[in-house]
Amino acid sequence: MAEPIVEFRHITKKFPGIVANDDVSFTVNKGEIFAVLGENGAGKSTLVSALFGMYEPDGGEILVRGKPERITSPRYAGTLGIGMVHQHFRLVSNYTVAENIVLGLEPVRKVCGIPFVDMKKANRDVAALSERYGLKVSPTDVTGDLSVAAMQRVEILKMLYREAEILIFDEPTAVLTPQEIDAFLQTVKTLRDSGKTIILITHKLREIKAVADRCAIMARGKLVSILDVKTASTDEMARLMVGHDISFTTEKAPAKFGEVVLDVDGLTVKNVAGYDAVKGVSFQVHAGEVFAVAGVSGNGQNELADSIAGLAKVSGGTVTLSGHDITNATVREHITAGVAYIPEDRHNVGLVLDFTLRGNFPLRLYDSPKYSRGSIINYREYNEQSARLQEEYDIRSSQGGETIVREMSGGNQQKAIIAREIDMKTPLIIFMQPTRGLDAGAVMNVRKYIIAERDRGAAVLLISLDLDEILDCADTIGVIYSGKMSKIAPASELTAEVIGEYMMGVGKTA
Amino acid sequence: MRKFTLSCLAIGISLIFGALILWLMGKNPGEAYMSILQGAGLMEKARYSGRQSMFTDFMSLVDAMTPMIFASLAVALALKGGFFNIGVSGQMLFAGFCAHMAAQFLPSRIVVVIVGFVAGAVVGALIGWLKSRFNVNEVVSSIMLNSILMYVITFYIYTFYINPVSRNSVSVPAAARLTLSGFRWEGMKVDIALAFPAAVITAVLLHWFINKTTYGYEIKAVGLSPRAAHYAGMNVGRTAVITMTLSGALAGLAGVAYYCGYLAAIQPGVTPSMGFDAIAVSLLGGNNPLGCVLASFLITVISKGSVYMSSRQNIELEIASLITALILTFAACSAVLDRRRGK
Repeated sequence: MAEPIVEFRHITKKFPGIVANDDVSFTVNKGEIFAVLGENGAGKSTLVSALFGMYEPDGGEILVRGKPERITSPRYAGTLGIGMVHQHFRLVSNYTVAENIVLGLEPVRKVCGIPFVDMKKANRDVAALSERYGLKVSPTDVTGDLSVAAMQRVEILKMLYREAEILIFDEPTAVLTPQEIDAFLQTVKTLRDSGKTIILITHKLREIKAVADRCAIMARGKLVSILDVKTASTDEMARLMVGHDISFTTEKAPAKFGEVVLDVDGLTVKNVAGYDAVKGVSFQVHAGEVFAVAGVSGNGQNELADSIAGLAKVSGGTVTLSGHDITNATVREHITAGVAYIPEDRHNVGLVLDFTLRGNFPLRLYDSPKYSRGSIINYREYNEQSARLQEEYDIRSSQGGETIVREMSGGNQQKAIIAREIDMKTPLIIFMQPTRGLDAGAVMNVRKYIIAERDRGAAVLLISLDLDEILDCADTIGVIYSGKMSKIAPASELTAEVIGEYMMGVGKTA
Repeated sequence: MRKFTLSCLAIGISLIFGALILWLMGKNPGEAYMSILQGAGLMEKARYSGRQSMFTDFMSLVDAMTPMIFASLAVALALKGGFFNIGVSGQMLFAGFCAHMAAQFLPSRIVVVIVGFVAGAVVGALIGWLKSRFNVNEVVSSIMLNSILMYVITFYIYTFYINPVSRNSVSVPAAARLTLSGFRWEGMKVDIALAFPAAVITAVLLHWFINKTTYGYEIKAVGLSPRAAHYAGMNVGRTAVITMTLSGALAGLAGVAYYCGYLAAIQPGVTPSMGFDAIAVSLLGGNNPLGCVLASFLITVISKGSVYMSSRQNIELEIASLITALILTFAACSAVLDRRRGK
């Protein structure tokens, strides 16, 4: 008989203009992996944030171990044995791993009555904890130098150090590479087997299928269904989540290659630290072609995309667009020449978060005659564009064009960027990690846009860490490893396994 | 609109707090506030000395408010562009001083305005350039410049330009002064601030500039998110310099309106406190140019009216400053509240 540990009863939470949770009730049992599945904005995060004490629900109650609790703060949630790993980590980057883990609960050693933090004990404790759960970290490393996966391990250890019994993960794999995801899922299983209860918020069906025991599906704030993962099919889950069937391979016509649009020759780019991050990369993208760059995170993809879009300085080689040399031209010249770019960092680069939605649409073309006469903004055109793009790309927000972008969900923010860049109708469009953190329905839509851009006759450069995405969309695949293009071949000649080998640097260089 | 409500709320709460303090001191808050309005020329006083009336009081309120409008506009524009221009004070002093010097040779109103505008712009541009070229924090550089300018100008005034009687600088020639001081009209002596209409027009123009032009769009984008601005093809460094140049120029106009208008001479050894009050006034006005005009009006009413209140009700002048400080503190809090809500 399963023993309930957390029970949500008729939880309702409203935000201005939106009902985030509408009468949601379900029970999580002790020692299971319980997944909460839903599209962006379905209300998953809001629901578990209530459990972690970040919001108080407007209605309903939460029972922990059979007792009704008013969880008013994360600190109180901690005393109930509830821990959470947020999508954006909450670590002090210049502290060591052990310092971060013990922060707030430091082992104390008194010298002459004055308390000191006993770092030696902290390091020992952390090492022991790391050993026990098989989460490899070095207690004395500085956190800021770690990879994203290692930081996540630190976050998990932080919860375990506080002896949390109920572990919440908010989109834990959004930032991980395929290999890291496998390791993470293994960790989650280990944690369950040691008696922890795990609540996993995600929209990746594969991961749920791989580890979860049960799964709650949410859509538009409501609980749609609770499924036993072993007996449910992926298709069924997907259908319930988006409310309609989605095909898992984007349908596309065979590519019709045109002229060479982008010609990159011997491109070398330094990263912020001054080292060569891209080393002599050469490739061509034709009109009507999706050229996808596969690779593990941090192998020069960011620098490659930024330099082709004009945001980063090229230190060697040339970039040619339809016969015109655009190497080291300004960003404005790149925009005018016809380079659209969907950057990876949608918060700091792709959008001005404190502008309205309407104000973000002309961000790249605000200076063109269409959006301004002389130097005077043509608001009629702003309004027209804003209404048109919201309609065409189904961008949802509480106050339409007047919504401050910061208040919109991540999926809708990304839709806004994609809409804006596609609307520029350029000969070259660069997609950098376009579906990161998006739900299944939105992912399919973005991929359709990628193919539609190709069929329009644009040259598409797609850079992604998601191999499924690359196999799904690409006509030609280039694999980047350690700043070099280790393999370029038509997509039809490559399998996931072969690409994987090149991504890890073990494939034979052609 | 929400900002407007918050500012009004800040004013309301601080007036209640102020009343509480006055009441605890054994004064009648109603009478005290009424005497503020009387002192500012918004209500009839019981009696007036010769050649004075409610109208003359009101006109000197307008005179004092004029430089405050310019100064708060300077702060507001800089904040839009991501700069905290704490150097408005030094820019005012420098501009006022340069205008005085120019007026020695060419005593004309046009000349002092142009010189003040340019002088302020130069200081602002320097701060902006230091920021964009060497990443020098503008707060540090402008505080340093405040001191440097103040001491250099003080030295000059004491050495070459002192009025031995008043211990202030020599007064600006009447032909170059932006305030017609003691103008006779209907048997009254009125101070007429010639620059006041210009201040209001400037606020309207600035509002238009920030919201309706691509320059304003660039300034706001760079101020809110430099990386997104770079991605948008904007020249982030150049925009930063332009922002600070314009902010400095507005501060320069404030300096001229202050030292060649509201006052006729420069007091050596200090930077004008108006340059710092302007930061708070701009916050109270929600960093909106039109809001700045309203906030300048309110703060000047209190600072002008409190002199009359203190003599009339036998209340210390410091209490009036306290009420002003309360308003500004609550205004700053409401700005923070507004930002938190936006998340």
